[in-house]
Amino acid sequence: MFTALLLVVVLVNGLGAFWPGPVVQADLADGGTILGKWIRQETDPDTKARTVQFKTANRELDPQRMDFHWYPMEAIRHLSYPPNVFVLERVGNGDFYGFLEDVSAPCLVFASGDDAKKRFEAAIAEVRRQQAAEVQTIARRLSSLNYELQAVRHAILRLEYRRKRAAQGPASADSVVSVESDDRLAQLRREEQRIKDQSDGLVAEKLAREEALRRNVALFRVGSGQVHPIPLVDIVRWYQPNAMGLAAKLGHYLSKIWELLTEEPRESNTEGGLFPAIFGTVMLVFLMSVACFPLGVLAGIYLGEYAREGTLVRLVRIAVNNLAGIPSIVYGIFGLGFFIYGLGGLVDRWFFPERVAAGIPTYGTGGILWASMTLGLLTLPVVIVATEEALRTIPRGFREASYALGATKLQTLVRVLLPMASPGMMTGFILAMARAAGEVAPLMITGVVKLAPTLPLDGHFPFFHLDRKFMHLGFHIFDIGFQSPNVEASKPMVYVTTLLLVLIVLVMSSAAIYLRNQMRKRYQSRTV
Amino acid sequence: MMPHSVPSKVCPEPFASGAEHSRQNGQVSAPFPESAQPGDTPAAIAHPVVQVKDLHLYYGRAQALCGITMDFPRHQVTALIGPSGCGKSTFLRCLNRMNDLIDEARTVGVILLDGQDITDPAFDVIELRRRVGMVFQRATPFPKSIYENVAYGLRIGGISSRALLDEAVENSLRRAGLWDEVKDRLRESALGLSGGQHQRLCIARAIAVHPEIILMDEPCSALDPRSTARIEDLIAELRSEYTIIIVTHNMQQAARVSDYAAFLYEGALIEFGPTKDLFTKPQKKETEDYITGRFG
Repeated sequence: MFTALLLVVVLVNGLGAFWPGPVVQADLADGGTILGKWIRQETDPDTKARTVQFKTANRELDPQRMDFHWYPMEAIRHLSYPPNVFVLERVGNGDFYGFLEDVSAPCLVFASGDDAKKRFEAAIAEVRRQQAAEVQTIARRLSSLNYELQAVRHAILRLEYRRKRAAQGPASADSVVSVESDDRLAQLRREEQRIKDQSDGLVAEKLAREEALRRNVALFRVGSGQVHPIPLVDIVRWYQPNAMGLAAKLGHYLSKIWELLTEEPRESNTEGGLFPAIFGTVMLVFLMSVACFPLGVLAGIYLGEYAREGTLVRLVRIAVNNLAGIPSIVYGIFGLGFFIYGLGGLVDRWFFPERVAAGIPTYGTGGILWASMTLGLLTLPVVIVATEEALRTIPRGFREASYALGATKLQTLVRVLLPMASPGMMTGFILAMARAAGEVAPLMITGVVKLAPTLPLDGHFPFFHLDRKFMHLGFHIFDIGFQSPNVEASKPMVYVTTLLLVLIVLVMSSAAIYLRNQMRKRYQSRTV
Repeated sequence: MMPHSVPSKVCPEPFASGAEHSRQNGQVSAPFPESAQPGDTPAAIAHPVVQVKDLHLYYGRAQALCGITMDFPRHQVTALIGPSGCGKSTFLRCLNRMNDLIDEARTVGVILLDGQDITDPAFDVIELRRRVGMVFQRATPFPKSIYENVAYGLRIGGISSRALLDEAVENSLRRAGLWDEVKDRLRESALGLSGGQHQRLCIARAIAVHPEIILMDEPCSALDPRSTARIEDLIAELRSEYTIIIVTHNMQQAARVSDYAAFLYEGALIEFGPTKDLFTKPQKKETEDYITGRFG
């Protein structure tokens, strides 16, 4: 009941977040005019004074850099919905509300004589084309240069580390090797310098081009009557909510959802997309499954089929059941101590000693691998208990029938028992997955971050970067909802993120439930 | 309260279920004189396929079988009869060492299958169960297709040749009288068959591995009369090739299908002989009481 209420709140607010609501022009008693979206109205319980909250956007123009303001109801003289008001979503400083006055684009050439809006559209299209053609190609080259630089730096580190080790070691280290490594080191350093120079050049070029593009501005008149230039490159999306029909609004809504699912976040996560967080969440659950399910199933099979009942097995079973009751943050701390500092530290010492010596941990710090292992541990009891229970509930007749045909224990297990137990085991998996997807506390100390620059899976060898930090929807909710500098502005995003997390859990669980039902149809005997 | 002795061996306490049973049956008042002697085994059994010698079985501290000695004739149907809890099923399960699966069950004695002692732990139990198949009271078709159910025993035996499997499946289903009913839906789940078909499928599954002996543990007790009749016909047919040992509660069934019958009571073999003789002129009073329905 309460859950349903909560879901309705999340659903309404989450689904409504992207709807392009109207922008209202309010004439105030003191003669001023404001442009903004009506957010909500409140009545003071003591004075009965009513106030209205507007989202006035235009953060950089506000003395306190706020985009939400409260106005007393009686101060508002007149409300109107001018159809020609523009809403701009920008790269920085949040939304902008204003009326288009003119376009000033010295770097562009286009047919004159059109009205301002036509020229604005043409200019934006041209600017975007140029940005894609020039700035973004440079950015891509910079990113791959960055990878090269990283590789060269690691190679230098490794070589230096070896030389140091050789110097400390027995004097028998022959000088030939040392000379060779000197050459190699010098070569690497030259390479590093070359890449750095190239990269610096590219950065300068990129800056220059961006600077040139930024000179193309559109002039907007805001509520107070002032005219402000907005660089066209900063505009991510623009629309005129008061002039939009239902179809246009729907189109806008869908494009926002597409952005949400595919783009990276902007503006300290309060705007833009959630793709890295969605990807992180799904990959985390996937890795968790890979880590936890085989282990859990094997443990369950052992406990249910092979282990001889005794004190030890009873103790193990009690321990497993108790594991399920431990607070998740405790798992997080265990993950930090055991996986990150313990296993991760060992991996680093064995495989990347040079980076340890330079104070750069690779696996010895939080990352998606350790986070998923920690979650795997957290969900292990559910899987073990479900597997054991599923095996236990198979009537003895099936085992005997199989044994009576000359089957070994393993054959019986693999060919008869496991298929019959699979629906029950799937139920365990579903529970485990749902729990893992929603868990945040243990992640916060095992590698989740508010903004990850790179995904744990990309086109650079070796493709899976399990040492990387990652973003997660659950943590995202916490971060933007409670850690954001601009709580009011991030509110819609909190709802959207919550809705998305619920949806992802729902989708993954439904897929698993569908699979289980298929299995049930196939494997569960009607005679039992 | 029910002293009953076995000549060479003394059965200590009547085991729990037996004692309970006798309490429930007020008619049982007279103590039973004596159990069958080893010498009671009909001398006519010339080439016994299974020879049981002084078999005792204990579930923990309770004794379930008290010194059973008997020979099973080859290519004949032997029925094991007796009241509930008398140890028939336990005895049957000794013959393919199904009791190994029960942790607290402990067997003492000798069971010779073609002269080899199968109670010897060194005897390959997998091999034994291939030679001594079993059909249970409750049909347990695996949740696989009809074809895979019958082929199961062969597959786990390492046979994967398509042609061999096809042939064996068809043969077994024909012998079990199920072929005509299922030949068009071999790939469908076996769970869709009826109860009687399930049991015949289980028989087909058992004979697919070509056992020498088929043990049947009350195979018809969960079936309607029509299906029961089919199974009984099947038993009569299979007799030519297999030795069949069947546990049944149904006196008429025992009389109809079996060539030999053994009466067990309280874990001991009371009487064993050709079915005709046992039913028409039982040597022991308790046998007579039982088959005439005075108790049990």
